[in-house]
Parts: sequence; structure tokens; C-alpha cells
Amino acid sequence: MQEDFHYYATYCAAFLAGFSHEECMDICYSAQLVDLCSRSFLTRLHAPGYAATTQLQLELMDARTDIIGLQDITRIWASFHFLPKDLYARKKWRTKRYMNKYRLICGPNSELVVKTVELAKGKSLQHAGIAMHVLADTWAHMYFAGTPSLVINNTDGYFYEVDGDKEKKIVFKHNPTQPDDLEAGAYTNSLYQSNENSVMNLGHGRAGHLPDYSFMKYKYLPAWNDYEEVVKDNPSDYTRAFCQMIYAMKYLKGDIDSFETDRYDTDAIAPFAERINAILRKRQPDASADWKAFGEELSGENIDKFDLDRYQDEYLQTDKGAKESTFLGRFIEGAIAQKGMVTNQIYRSGNILAGFSKEIRREGGIL
Amino acid sequence: MTRLQRIRAFVTGAITLYLAILMMLAPEEGYPVVLMFISLGLMFYGIKSLIYYFTMARFMVDGRMILYRAIVMLDFGYLTATLSDIPRVYVLIYLIVIHAFSALVEILRAGEDKRYGARSWKLKLFHGIVNLIIALVCIVFIGKHNTAVYMYSLGLMYSAIVRIVSAFRKTTFIYIQ
Repeated sequence: MQEDFHYYATYCAAFLAGFSHEECMDICYSAQLVDLCSRSFLTRLHAPGYAATTQLQLELMDARTDIIGLQDITRIWASFHFLPKDLYARKKWRTKRYMNKYRLICGPNSELVVKTVELAKGKSLQHAGIAMHVLADTWAHMYFAGTPSLVINNTDGYFYEVDGDKEKKIVFKHNPTQPDDLEAGAYTNSLYQSNENSVMNLGHGRAGHLPDYSFMKYKYLPAWNDYEEVVKDNPSDYTRAFCQMIYAMKYLKGDIDSFETDRYDTDAIAPFAERINAILRKRQPDASADWKAFGEELSGENIDKFDLDRYQDEYLQTDKGAKESTFLGRFIEGAIAQKGMVTNQIYRSGNILAGFSKEIRREGGIL
Repeated sequence: MTRLQRIRAFVTGAITLYLAILMMLAPEEGYPVVLMFISLGLMFYGIKSLIYYFTMARFMVDGRMILYRAIVMLDFGYLTATLSDIPRVYVLIYLIVIHAFSALVEILRAGEDKRYGARSWKLKLFHGIVNLIIALVCIVFIGKHNTAVYMYSLGLMYSAIVRIVSAFRKTTFIYIQ
């Protein structure tokens, strides 16, 4: 997903969940910041690098793919962009090494998404924004894993856009500077790299931006699915992501007592269903303008453009002891909590791909 | 990182460092060792790919490509091991490509870090310049007899030191409940 959904659509979902305009702005800003809070960004703020929620392209190129490097990459991408669907999944005749990767395949309605939303309950709006980013990405990024893996994330040339009964072959190029040509069906993806742990095999790089386009419905052969094709219906998935975000935010706001999987607040979008459906199905690489217009109509307020520099001075100029009370301080606290929780769950499942984790209980008086 | 992985990283690093120093001290005897490293490296890569195929890639769409690659690399390894004399210029070309590419990545990365205001850009630029200098030295001294051994040994020393340092890196993530 991109800024259109993480920023503008999250604003709309937050508003429909009952948050005020100012609260919606904090939530959607934080949701979008997850895609930009890299180690380089944190270094500039003199903030802890382990709070990074993403890696820039050149950071990835620079990343070592030894065990420590892989654990760092996995902690970031599995915690924030490819939340694992089932850490205890089973598959016959597979080795432990294979299963460690297989179990990190992302998908919606997992136990981890429940833990993610519950972790944000009673915390800051920034933490709520982080949780909404993670939740939304479980829909967009399903079938891919947040760890470099050829055997999981690879694809072959079998890619077709599905439009009713019609199918159109999708062609991939590898030039990242060339924009996707939606009409010609020509898209950019990462190069095939035969190294299992190459960063080129991280997440949905081999499927290009197809998972990020809300209008796209396509079928392909994921590397892990025993030569069985999957159909990825983004308009339908994005609608469910939107409705699940509203449901989750009502829970975070305190209107609902518990957060359960497979529940969607379709009632909240009923009056706007046609409008939302039209935005999601419109063939365009970026739906920001449409979501922004919809959000501004909902709240009657102006939705400011996302500005990465907005809260930096506040953080830099605040004394060390009080940084936690700043906007970015609260975001960093939420990011560390989310990363810690996911790393801990992966480690407890017997999988060390995200590294080792040590639990410390506040109640125990250790802190 | 498990304790065993740390010990392995440290021991491998220490042995590599020792061998690299020995090769620099005796470059004439060092050249066959460089060739041996390359042929062993190719064979090791081939065997590793075979293991990878049988444990992971055979379950993957188009996984057979990994099997073909493994066999080809293993063959190259055997072939390199059987040749008694490979012109040193080929080894130098290999080193030039590796260091020039590393230099490019490091310098681009330094530029990005600088744009973000991160302080680490100077270190990255330094790494990039060092790599560039090594690549240039290889080009300038391409005709010299022992350049390949010296440059290869320097590369080995660098990777050995990185391996030793990584053995002591912190890897545990604290989860506060």
C-alpha cells in the first residue's frame, strides 16, 4: 500500500470510526510515517536506530545478508509490513529451514494482527496509526513474506490481470526509474536473484507494485504454493482492509470491548459504499486525490499534505528526558513496542529469523 | 546469534586473517593459494547450492534452475582446480569489478545519508573511496606480478575483521510487556 491508503484512506477510516479531525490527522500521519521512518531518518533525529520501521532502497542495498543482517531486515519488514499469518503453520515433507521462512508469509486475520491491535489499545494515537498501517498491509501484502527468501517470494512469468472473463498478460521490466504503464500492462519488478537471501527477494519485490494498486485484480504462481495459482483481488481486499480498520479503531477508541478476527464494520461505509468502491476500482497509480476529496467531504476540514519534516524540530528541541512526550517520541515508543512484540512472538515459535528476544515484565519490578 | 554461530564467526575470521597475512608475506607462494581459494569457493558454492536445492528450492516454482546452476558451478570448481596456471590478469579483473561496484554503492549511500542529515555519511564515503582506490590500484598495477595476491589478501583481511566484529554484536531484542 502507498500514501493514498496509509494516509488519506486511514484518515477517512479514523473519521468514520468516530475520531475528531485532529485525532484523525495524528493517526494517519503515524500510519504513513511507518513507510518513512528509516534508520537514516532516526539518525538525523539522534533517535534510537532500532526503532526503524522501514529501510530505504539504498539501505537495503547496503544491508549485509549474514544472519544478523537478515534478522534486522526481518524484524523491520515482518513487524510492520508483512505481519505473519501463522507462525505455527504446517506443511508435509518440508525442512525446518524452509518452514521458518514459510511461517513468515503474511496474511490477514491472524493471531498477530489481534495482538497488534490489542497492543495499541490505551496507548497513543501514534501507536494506533502504526497498528492501522500493519493491519492494512496484511491485506495488500498477503502471500509474501517480510524476509528475503527466493523460495517464498519468487514468482515466474505467469502473471495475468483479470477483468471479468478477460485476462491480460502482465509484462515486467526491471528499470526502477521507468513508471508503470497501466494501459499497456507493463510494470516494474525486482530482478531475479538466485541467492535465497538476496534483498531482491524481500517481500513483494518480484510482483512489483501490483499489491499496492487498489484497482488491480490478478493471478499468478507464488513460489511456495506447489504450482497452484492464486487470484489476488485487491478491490475486494482493500474494501475489507478499510472496514476492518474502522472496526479496529472503534475498539481502540473504546466503543467496542474486544477485537476479533474476520469482523468488518460494513455498516459504517454503507452510505458511501459506491463512492469508496469507485475510488478503489479506478485505474490509477495513486488514488490520493480521490481519498483526500472524500476525507475532506466527510469531516469538512482540510487534510494537510504529508510532510516528513513536520514534527522534527519539536523532537530535536525537546530535552532528552521529555522526548517521549513529543509526537515523534510517542511514535518511536509505539514502533519499539510493535517490533518487540512481533520479534518475541516469532522467537517463541522456535524461529530465530527475527533474532532473539528477551521478555521483561514491567509489573515484575525489573524496570 | 547463537553461541555456536558466534564462535564459528570468530574462528573463521581469525583463520582467514592469519591466511591473508601469510599470503602478503609470501606473495609468490600466495598466488596458488588464491587460485585454490577460488576453486574451493566455486566447489563449495556448487555443493551449497545442491544442498539448497534438495532442502528448499525443489519445492519452489522453477526450482530446477537452482539444480542446474549447482551442477555448473561444481564443474567450474573442478575445472579451476585442475588448471595449473591461470593468467593473473583474470583474478585482477575480478577484483576490479568487485571493488568498483562496492565503491559505487557506498558513495551513493553516503550521498543519501548526507541528504538525510545522518552523521554516518562520512564513514560511508570513506569506505567508498577506499574501495575505489583499491580498484584503481588494481588497474594501475595490472602488469605487476604480485598485485593480485596483495589486493586479494587485503579483501580477505577486511572481511575477516568484519566477521570477528560481528561475532560480538548485540542481537537480542528486548520486549517490554
